[in-house]
Amino acid sequence: MNKKLFYVLVLAALLLSACGQTTAVPTEPPVVATEPPATEVPTEVPTEAGQCLLIGALYGGPITDAGYNQAMHEAVMAIKDNIECVQIIEAENVPDEAGATSTMENMISQGAKMIIATAFNHQYPALELSNKYPDVIFEHAGGWEMGPNFANFFGAPPDGWYLMGVAAGKMTTSNRLGFVAAFPLGWTLTFINAFTRGAKSVNPDVETIVAYTFSWGDRAKEADTTNSLINQDVDVITMHVDSPSTIISTAESRGVYSIGFQSLAAQQFAPEYWISGTGYTLGGKLTWLTSTVLDGTWEPIFLRCGIADGCMAIAPFGPKVPQEVQDLVMQTEADIEAGKIVVFAGPIKDQDGNIKVAEGETLTDDLMGSVDWFVEGVIGSPK
Amino acid sequence: MSLLSILGVLSSAIFSGTSLLYTTLGEVIGQRSGIVNLGLEGVLLVSASSGFAVTVITGNPFLGLLAAALIGGLTNMILGYLVIHRKANQLASGLALMFFGFGLSALIGKPYVGARINGLPRIPLPGTSGLPQLYTSLFSFDILIHLSIPTAILVWWILFRTRWGLGLRAVGENADTAFASGRDPRLIRYQALFLSGLLAGLGAAHLSIAYTMNWTEYMTAGRGFIAVALVIFSRWHPMRAIVGALVFSGAVAFQLLLQSSGVQVSPFLLDTIPYVLTILVLIAWGGNRRQSAPASLGCVYHGTE
Amino acid sequence: MSQTAKTFPRVSLSNPLVNNLIRYLLMILLALLLFGIILLVTGKDPIQSYRDIFSATLGSTYGFSEVLLAMIPMLLTALAVALPARVGLINVGGEGQVYIGAAFATWGALAFQNKPAWILLPLMTLLGMIGGALWAFVPGYLKSIGLVNETIATLLMNSIAPKIVGFLIFGFWHSPMDTVKTDNFVSAARLPTFFDTRVHLGFVFALVLLALFWFIMKYTRWGLEMRAIGGNAQAARRNGIPLKGYLVTVMCIGGAIAGLAGMAQVSGFYGVLLLNFSMGLGFMGFLICWLAGGDPIGIFLMSFVVAVITTGGNLLQLTQGLPYAVINILLALALFVVLASPRFFEGKKA
Repeated sequence: MNKKLFYVLVLAALLLSACGQTTAVPTEPPVVATEPPATEVPTEVPTEAGQCLLIGALYGGPITDAGYNQAMHEAVMAIKDNIECVQIIEAENVPDEAGATSTMENMISQGAKMIIATAFNHQYPALELSNKYPDVIFEHAGGWEMGPNFANFFGAPPDGWYLMGVAAGKMTTSNRLGFVAAFPLGWTLTFINAFTRGAKSVNPDVETIVAYTFSWGDRAKEADTTNSLINQDVDVITMHVDSPSTIISTAESRGVYSIGFQSLAAQQFAPEYWISGTGYTLGGKLTWLTSTVLDGTWEPIFLRCGIADGCMAIAPFGPKVPQEVQDLVMQTEADIEAGKIVVFAGPIKDQDGNIKVAEGETLTDDLMGSVDWFVEGVIGSPK
Repeated sequence: MSLLSILGVLSSAIFSGTSLLYTTLGEVIGQRSGIVNLGLEGVLLVSASSGFAVTVITGNPFLGLLAAALIGGLTNMILGYLVIHRKANQLASGLALMFFGFGLSALIGKPYVGARINGLPRIPLPGTSGLPQLYTSLFSFDILIHLSIPTAILVWWILFRTRWGLGLRAVGENADTAFASGRDPRLIRYQALFLSGLLAGLGAAHLSIAYTMNWTEYMTAGRGFIAVALVIFSRWHPMRAIVGALVFSGAVAFQLLLQSSGVQVSPFLLDTIPYVLTILVLIAWGGNRRQSAPASLGCVYHGTE
Repeated sequence: MSQTAKTFPRVSLSNPLVNNLIRYLLMILLALLLFGIILLVTGKDPIQSYRDIFSATLGSTYGFSEVLLAMIPMLLTALAVALPARVGLINVGGEGQVYIGAAFATWGALAFQNKPAWILLPLMTLLGMIGGALWAFVPGYLKSIGLVNETIATLLMNSIAPKIVGFLIFGFWHSPMDTVKTDNFVSAARLPTFFDTRVHLGFVFALVLLALFWFIMKYTRWGLEMRAIGGNAQAARRNGIPLKGYLVTVMCIGGAIAGLAGMAQVSGFYGVLLLNFSMGLGFMGFLICWLAGGDPIGIFLMSFVVAVITTGGNLLQLTQGLPYAVINILLALALFVVLASPRFFEGKKA
């Protein structure tokens, strides 16, 4: 018996060495060598002189999605526009969690000294690698963990959502607003709550109806969900998914108003029934962060910034939005900046009428990510 | 629940069931000839991406539709070559085709992600013009939806009322006998696969050009496998496929309605119902399976060496 | 080895091992050539692309370790197909069994997270295997009583399993901060890794099971009886071999191995249970098993080649600007070329 086992092991070892050859051979294949090398295509390994920093950027989806990934991509590209000597390598559609590790490892082996990971689920693999590579700086979007060479940056969308709620509350005639959400996540619920509070501040009869697609990017499901909401007499549609384009196109084709989120590029999909939208405009802050990396003053700071800091922006209003609604939104924005309006100031009741934030208190930023309840006026399940 | 929301479930089921129906009809033809195509997911992706790309380039969704259908048929020819000509295993060849589709569609579609197109124009059902816009838009269908039930009838007619269909079913039951009675099983299977790919291409085109008006990587999200399940659910019959497609997509629409009414049922569990139902249907008529499933489904025709 | 039953097309390895290696090499070269043409057409540099693929996989210790890491689920899911195939069962349900195995293991990891690793890990391993086995029991049983074809049943159950995982994550194992996954596992619930790489104990599991599979099929009565069933099930039954029992048991063991692959992914690779994490692992295993003819050594080699391709593709998007998914074309071309070579594969094609 032992002899046979030994035989197995020897065979395995033999094979291991055999496969080494198997796959090593094609590096000098006669077949491929006969092909003319494509001269006009430069290999983009960034080794040219004058490069001061190589940045590796990871996105969870396609960078032309007119949504979250495009907003993040444009922010990263703003670094290159502002600091010429920076080189950037990018990877789209990077898988979640441990699936992203090898992409970051490859970027670092290409010489990247700064990693910008923009998907929520790249936080832990990036944090883990930050321990392995103490000389590489990791910036992650939208998380909460911190480390000596690992930090988080993001926009602060709730204020913008409140403003969009004000616009939606004014524009609706059925008093029913539709919210297409990817998943019941803490931040998503906070956005829905802010949106609803904004709408109710100008129109107390308004209700927000929520439906989840349970995917960040299943387009057909998004169209299904949008139609389902419209068929429940909703006349304003908004969303928190990666790319709003299908939802907005669907609403437009049904003659229903839409409010965008993630990227300002979403507006092109609704030439007629567009109300407005908010998007991330983090280019300025990323440029600043990069400049601190370059001059050696980078420190791990937890960065969250809003409309006033230029990290979020309000999209232009659509053709059907009356001037007084536009003025009201702009006035509300000024009031928020001035501190006259606090979006999550108590008393706030949940769907069942329980007090969630007491009078005189406010929901703080660090609690917004773990909200698991809806405010009054939301129809739908918070789980 | 209002009248609108109930009509809405029907409308949603029709809209999202159309791509399923075309794909299923195609797979019914393929399986009736004895070939199961697990690579349907890949075929759909390649068709959806190339149809979308052609629509962006030419600005004409009908050209996109044509391209998607043709590409679907051609992609299926790879499977045909492997399983008919080279006598490879069908399941493995299909899965390889699926991975091929993942890659090729990503390559084709990359420049067009996020592009904006004018989808297939919608034509309202006659007699609905007097209703409010919300209602007319419920039943304002594109050409593919209008043609879906006629297509199912056509497929039924081809399979059960033409000589070619008779030959195709004979090949699916027993290729050797079919050969003995003067038919060419290889040729018939190639033709069946091409037709099957054309229909799958139309289904994919509906998804990318008509319904979502969008292309993203892996946008089919398992619809190829749903179609394979639907073929079983509808017991290899094109007319029952209509019911099957409506049941599968109607379940999703109903699930969404429940969700947004605040009903606390896990949407994930609701989504499993069509599959559980299919398994139960299979169990219920398990004993006399041979009456419906093509007998030589999955078998290689070795010829008469 | 040559007297092995022909229930499964297989590569005979005893004599023409070198021969076969050369043949496979030629086939892979053909696939590389075809993919090279596609790269040229799209305006990329094929030679540089191949350099990248090989430098990212075999050119460094890290790259090589990533290849081994990618092989783990492939080896296990391929074995989950190979074993049932020996009695003529076609298990296309690896994908679903992976998910349910992962879900069971996750329950162990979350419910007993204050236990030490030497209790937790064996428990999770066992749970993962039970989960996979249960998921395979249904089609196995339905087949054994002649009700439903196992190919169809396993396929359908593939579509159900990820939804059950979704139900569990969002129903029970999810906090609002967690997006689409469970809480991170405690370190005691993580399979240990080797030498500062990500290669984990699952690799050892896979190798041991492969060797065990080879040994049982070749040297034990079980192996003999299974080959008999695979050769002619009704004749085997008349000879007193308990057919139904074998069908159900073998299917369950296959499922258990796929379940172990799921456990290895959540415990060794991810450290969380992630929605839709598998993305075709079970199907990949099915392909590898078929291409390898169900042979343990062939499975090892095939997994290695596939792992080199998928791991190497990662660098291409950085250096060539190709979408990561494009590497699937090379993979599929390699599969097509092998599939189109029926000379190696004789016997029943099902």
